[in-house]
Amino acid sequence: MDNIENRLTKLALKGDQRAFAEIVELYKDKIYHLAYRMLSNRHEAEDIVQETFLRVYRNLDRYDQNQKFSTWIYRIATNLCIDRLRKKKPTYSLDAEMNDQEGMDGYSMIPSDNRTPESEALLSETQQIIYQAIDSLPAKYKSVMILRYLQDLSLQEISDVLGMPVTTIKTRVHRGREFLRKKLEPKM
Amino acid sequence: MECNLAVSLMHDYLDDDLSKEQQMELKAHLLSCPACRMQFKELEQTDMLMFSLSHHAPSAPLELTQRIMSALPQEKKQQPWLGWIRRHPAVTAAAIFLIVMFISSVSFWDQDSQLVVKGNDLDQVVIEGDTVIVPEGKSIAGNLTVENGKTKIYGEVNGNLTVIDGSLYQASTAHISGKVKNIDQALDWLWYKITNAFSDVAYR
Ligand SMILES: [Zn+2]
Repeated sequence: MDNIENRLTKLALKGDQRAFAEIVELYKDKIYHLAYRMLSNRHEAEDIVQETFLRVYRNLDRYDQNQKFSTWIYRIATNLCIDRLRKKKPTYSLDAEMNDQEGMDGYSMIPSDNRTPESEALLSETQQIIYQAIDSLPAKYKSVMILRYLQDLSLQEISDVLGMPVTTIKTRVHRGREFLRKKLEPKM
Repeated sequence: MECNLAVSLMHDYLDDDLSKEQQMELKAHLLSCPACRMQFKELEQTDMLMFSLSHHAPSAPLELTQRIMSALPQEKKQQPWLGWIRRHPAVTAAAIFLIVMFISSVSFWDQDSQLVVKGNDLDQVVIEGDTVIVPEGKSIAGNLTVENGKTKIYGEVNGNLTVIDGSLYQASTAHISGKVKNIDQALDWLWYKITNAFSDVAYR
């Protein structure tokens, strides 16, 4: 993976737009997922994706090839999300959540043959509760939990992305996990 | 073992960061302590539920790549292939047709050809159906972008004018202070899709 990304960034730096478009294709869904869960709003997530790639493009000449490309792009995207969260007013975030319920389809996890009305209802309800629980996490836990679980990054990678010691990340994962456990407890 | 320590070890276990020895100690405590056993079960389930979310990640909208690419700063000169395509429209059309036959998954960007008008000073603009008019004597401050429509300029645009997938008519009274750009997204997008499919193969 890294070889491809390094090659693409070099080409893009020389002005090859198609190489940059490939970078976008490789990462846009991941960044979109990250931003969507951070902000619980599709339009804002799209904005973040666009802004992230714009920054990547502008700073290609400063990208250090010894660093993992994924770490670099996740750092840019996570910082943009955290900035956006800080600026958000609580009422707005509530509205966004209310308007965005259609994004919470839960039952795609069950193979279609096994879907019964009960299992669909149960799973989507559980999943809505998880999404709401994630959404209610304070930003510093939220980013860590999303990077850990939804993006499947290791504790070390998260520490690189956020520029914090691994011990701090570990503590946040533990607290975040306890927080979510308590929110999910009635469902288990 | 104290329950506090046990909880801490449970998290380490879920982080995949617990030695075999400590795992045995934790297990011994769990066997003797129902409360911790319960908590461990819940934590494990939370962990699994959270990981399961990564399997149904929503995809970014298809046209987002195109939007990102067209929003990039354009200091580069126009790609030579575009000129070639313009000079050889028939050959290109035939070639593209063939290639499209091969790539059944080509998704067209133009499924919604809705008129889009962007600018800072739209009060001065008259829109009639799919035609966007800057009337004579009117002056637009800043850039104007029209997508999927006919643009007719009789007045002034004090900025860049970008026409995407549409026609542009400039009257003799028209004055555009910035750059005028006419973009045909069909070609750009299709080219992008084609080359992307090829280079995908090349990388494997
Ligand atoms: Zn105990």
